[in-house]
Amino acid sequence: MHYQLIAEETLINELKQKESQAKAFEVLVNTYKERLYWHIRRIVLDHDDADDVLQNTFIKVYKNIDNFKGESKLYSWMYRIATNESLTFLKQKSRKMGISDEELKNRMVENLQSDVYFEGDEIQLKLQKALATLPDKQKLVFTMKYFQEMKYEEISEALETSVGALKTSYHLASKKIEAYLKED
Amino acid sequence: MKKDKKNSFNTPEGYFESFHDRLMDKINKEEGQPESIIPKSDGFTVPERYFDEVTPKVLSKTVEDNGKVIQLKSYRKFYYAAAAVAALFLLVFGLNWKSNAPIGFDDLANTEIDAYFESTEIDISTYELAELVPLESLELNDVLENDIEAENILEYLDETVEDIEDLNLDYSNYE
Repeated sequence: MHYQLIAEETLINELKQKESQAKAFEVLVNTYKERLYWHIRRIVLDHDDADDVLQNTFIKVYKNIDNFKGESKLYSWMYRIATNESLTFLKQKSRKMGISDEELKNRMVENLQSDVYFEGDEIQLKLQKALATLPDKQKLVFTMKYFQEMKYEEISEALETSVGALKTSYHLASKKIEAYLKED
Repeated sequence: MKKDKKNSFNTPEGYFESFHDRLMDKINKEEGQPESIIPKSDGFTVPERYFDEVTPKVLSKTVEDNGKVIQLKSYRKFYYAAAAVAALFLLVFGLNWKSNAPIGFDDLANTEIDAYFESTEIDISTYELAELVPLESLELNDVLENDIEAENILEYLDETVEDIEDLNLDYSNYE
């Protein structure tokens, strides 16, 4: 069996035992915090929002670890929780502001110009505008593949979508983004 | 300069580290694939030491929070006493209660309803509220603390509206 799988299995067992839970959870947070943060950040764009969603994601993971059946890998289960938490967060935000999802996405990109934790240049800002025009699934697949450099198999488990469908989404997203960036 | 112990040849600094990137560039050029115009990074940054500080924050809300469980067992005898008192009250008042009518929404005092709305964060948008409450059943004075007379409204419009066309009034209904 692959070393990583054994390590993951051990970690899951430790997470489910009361006496080893605290230490194992700290290992889990330290192992996945950066990867999950960047995944969330690319959905919600704002750092403070990403921080809130990341903490909520780990709280959900902690509360539901006993229900984790091990049918998928631990990281893909956590990616699923992080994705759902991020998308739900944006839905609630648009409802609270009384605006549509599209309008919220446009405002999020506009806010980047004054965001101290966004150091993108003109082309990177245009990239965010292009990403905001994509359907959620295409945007997710693109950022997970292009920026997070995940394998199709990993994205497939996290988003519960076939590799074939992911490749199509990625191809479509790339073409749309390139076309958008070429526009004046 | 890097030296190979077994022979006298050496390579430029960083030659092997950058070999893969240079090879891929060459393959792409030979296959005639233009380099993508999509930038390689997206420009996001995080505050300094954020990743060091987030772990204790998460742990304080999960593992450490879990340690503060209040032991319920020691209060058990008080629960029995409280339940006995509550049962006695129910028996006394229940027997003396002449009305058989079930408690309805109208029995709630307005202050209780107001207090509920003030203390509860209700996740409801103005659109949903508008769908819930039909416009025809609302009068302007229902949502205002002080009554406004038609005269005041006309006076306000007279002072603030420059062009009557801005109001988009359907004149045919007002003739």
